[in-house]
Amino acid sequence: MTKTLFIGLDGCTFTVLDQMTRDLPGEGLTMPFMKSVMERGVRARLRSTPNPLTPPAWCSIMTGKNPGEHGVFDFIRAEDKGGEVFWTLYDARDIDTETIWSICSRKNRSVAALNFPLTAPAPEELKGSIVPGFIPAKHLRRNTHPRELFERIKTQIPGFDPKELAWDFDKEKQAMESLSADETAKWVRYHLPREEQWFKVAEFILGNDAPELMAVMFDGTDKIQHQAWPWLDQALLPSNPQGHDKQMREVCLEYFHNLDGYIEKLVTMAGPDTQVFFASDHGFTASTFVLRINAYLEDMGYLAWAHSDGSDQAIRREASDFANLDWSKTTAYCRTPSSNGIHIRVAEKPGDPGIRPEDYTRFRDQLIVDLLALKDPDTGEQVIVEVLKREEWFAGKHMLRACDLTLVLRDHGFVSIKNLRPVVAQRPHAAGTHHPDGIFMAVGPGIPAAGEVGLRQIVDVAPTLLYSLGVSVPSDFEGVVPDTFFSPEWMAAHPVKKGAKTRASGRRALDQEMDAGEKQQIIEQLQMLGYME
Amino acid sequence: MLPADNPHLTPLIELLEDFTQDWDHEFSGEMGPDTRLLADLGFESIDIIQLVVAIQEEVVHRKLSFDRLLMKDGRYVDDLSIGQIAEYLAEHD
Repeated sequence: MTKTLFIGLDGCTFTVLDQMTRDLPGEGLTMPFMKSVMERGVRARLRSTPNPLTPPAWCSIMTGKNPGEHGVFDFIRAEDKGGEVFWTLYDARDIDTETIWSICSRKNRSVAALNFPLTAPAPEELKGSIVPGFIPAKHLRRNTHPRELFERIKTQIPGFDPKELAWDFDKEKQAMESLSADETAKWVRYHLPREEQWFKVAEFILGNDAPELMAVMFDGTDKIQHQAWPWLDQALLPSNPQGHDKQMREVCLEYFHNLDGYIEKLVTMAGPDTQVFFASDHGFTASTFVLRINAYLEDMGYLAWAHSDGSDQAIRREASDFANLDWSKTTAYCRTPSSNGIHIRVAEKPGDPGIRPEDYTRFRDQLIVDLLALKDPDTGEQVIVEVLKREEWFAGKHMLRACDLTLVLRDHGFVSIKNLRPVVAQRPHAAGTHHPDGIFMAVGPGIPAAGEVGLRQIVDVAPTLLYSLGVSVPSDFEGVVPDTFFSPEWMAAHPVKKGAKTRASGRRALDQEMDAGEKQQIIEQLQMLGYME
Repeated sequence: MLPADNPHLTPLIELLEDFTQDWDHEFSGEMGPDTRLLADLGFESIDIIQLVVAIQEEVVHRKLSFDRLLMKDGRYVDDLSIGQIAEYLAEHD
């Protein structure tokens, strides 16, 4: 029997959810089931990881630990080897701690995890079902765990189409390049059948296997909000949208209405005895300007661009929008837009490029001063409102792999690393970007109709799910079970059990260099996610 | 020329047969050392990422770096044959 149903909603924010659960003039009620969930349950804003980004944030949800402990900071991992920086792609083997899927499996609780990032390749010993997210259709069969699950899904779900279900990188990239009114609406519409496919898989596994922990993540919320934010944020929407605005608004409402139906069916199937939880990895808001951070670092004397010899390869390299720098003259730089952070290059030995180790503190303090000094030339406002030091925000065994400094921009946007001017440019139209506050909600037996309660932390999700399952909470989890999410009677009858520490994953990947094709692929993924300018 | 006793060739072919069994490529013959990933099997960059993971997990059981196979003289190779991969794996046993 399914004790716990966990529905992940990538990038979901109350800014959108609250309007979708209200009866709006001319639009009606888009998400009637979620309205009833909110009325019958509890909700809280959920503070994401310091850099609110899909891979580290979902890994914190899956592990109950911050990125400094689980070791996943970005889509890509880079090793600074002095004269060159090598880039590697994160996968499930890079999560350097147990996930809730493994903990449940070890405790003989059956699990299913559908569409979560960094769940492939699954550990061989995992007892449960994994259909990973962020995997192209051609590779879904081999990355589905156990392998025979894919055949079951393929043969037993009418209309199952892995090409509709999985990411189509080319299609997403094309859509990013073409932003005509018609193409943008088509791109949003492309996510409607994707979510239906994931719903069908979830429905099949829930109905046939009834895992004790059933978890599915819908990620269209994130994708649509990146591209269609002006039609989702009522503050930006015309009062009486017409033409393209109307078309975009309608397809967005259609998406959220469909999603509401899928959620209702899954919750109904799970039954009245199931506790249901919802969480997002981060929220969403409007980005209004572009900060070309490496251009600013060049102005301040920290960075030099690589010289281009004009060859085809050099031109492609420049166009790739991937930090292409003269490493011998660079002391601080941003590696990827999604990292929103600055790496300081420290010389490992005299003569190596980078600053001397003994100069680190002074150098970093001056860099912080320079970063905070940047003003928007149009408005005079501060562009970077906060600079986070890694030892204060990424404590843990992987702290040294975090950016030395993580930036918080005034509009919460992601930086650009393009070699373009001006350093700060206004966007012609607001674009969706990640906000640190996502959603955390619950409904079901033992969960009070408490409405909104105080802010929770992203690391609280994992202990909450384990508690709901009756599994002890590992003593090294950083999060806690929120007592506001359960009634006093329930907590009295079901006290939180503290357990032993999590076990070492034993799958930590060794360093590996990445080829150009892989780099380009990551760039494409980042572009489609909207992290590129 | 790939030595006949290369221990990785058969596991690689078995892996690639499984890997590509439901792909829309037009390759219909038997895979061998001369079969090329891009030209014959229709590989794209994302497929190479996945193949590297599969080789690490199922053939060599460690996270072997493939940069020296994928780059020659500062440029990325246009294609790779199964024999070249088998040879590379043998060199890094």
